[in-house]
Amino acid sequence: MSDVDLAAIIASSPFGRFLGIETQVDERGVLAILPIRDELIGNVMLPAMHGGCVAAFLEITCQLQVAHETGAIAPARTIDISVEYLRPARRENLFARARIRRLGRRVATIHAEAWQQDEDKPVCLLQSHLRLPGSVAISD
Amino acid sequence: MTGDTPNSDRTTQSRVGDWPEQTPDQQIVRGMVTYTPYAKALGMKYVSSSPGHGEIFLPWREDLVGQGGSDILAPGVLTALIDHVCGLAIMATFGLEARPATLDLRIDHMRPAAPRGSITAAANCYKSTRNIAFLRAEAWDVSRDDLVATAQAAFILNRKEQA
Repeated sequence: MSDVDLAAIIASSPFGRFLGIETQVDERGVLAILPIRDELIGNVMLPAMHGGCVAAFLEITCQLQVAHETGAIAPARTIDISVEYLRPARRENLFARARIRRLGRRVATIHAEAWQQDEDKPVCLLQSHLRLPGSVAISD
Repeated sequence: MTGDTPNSDRTTQSRVGDWPEQTPDQQIVRGMVTYTPYAKALGMKYVSSSPGHGEIFLPWREDLVGQGGSDILAPGVLTALIDHVCGLAIMATFGLEARPATLDLRIDHMRPAAPRGSITAAANCYKSTRNIAFLRAEAWDVSRDDLVATAQAAFILNRKEQA
């Protein structure tokens, strides 16, 4: 585990600031928090957060977990994501954690989950492949 | 679109499935881009829609950049654009009352968008059953011949009138 400054990483990303992501670090890794606000709503009838906003939050959670575990400040680039929506994300704060399933030299495979009231009832699952920064860039 | 045009591609193929006879009013459908809070917050602009098809434009904006200084739109911005354009293609087919909910979405990022590049995304609903719609979508910055991202999605539909 590294002491990389996650708040500084988010602050260096205009879109991270736009979403308003906050973080805490504990023994399980990074806990990302997305405070709800009206702009993030995708369905006004339910109401529910926009699926694209939930997925973006999870994707950034993956990147933060990589930064936390590797100490790399340079952002990893997203190769692909696969998202499953299990429940609507209600008009409440959203929480997320990511787990690195494999950290290779070039690519990391990461699973992330988002929930609201109950961590055992995830609203959304995301798998991503991230291209790691650093020396790996030589191959292409 | 019948799919015979020379440039017919993955998102303008002819449609297959259980389609309603009446085409929804596209001016009403357009509202799901104009009035959805998150779509509005990101600055999405409706381009076109017709049964099975939707297209949305997202102008570049400084506060939507992924890494400060890169001037490249964050991949998460494309995720919302692609999810929304799939919803547009469904509503253009089944009307607003279809209330599509994303079941799954997969996005491949072929390359970063151009610095300060705006993005257009188009979706095609190539098959639907009574309750599920299957879509493909693609996103590009300069030319549709050089894509930034491709996507595949499945949505659940709420079609009470078809019971």
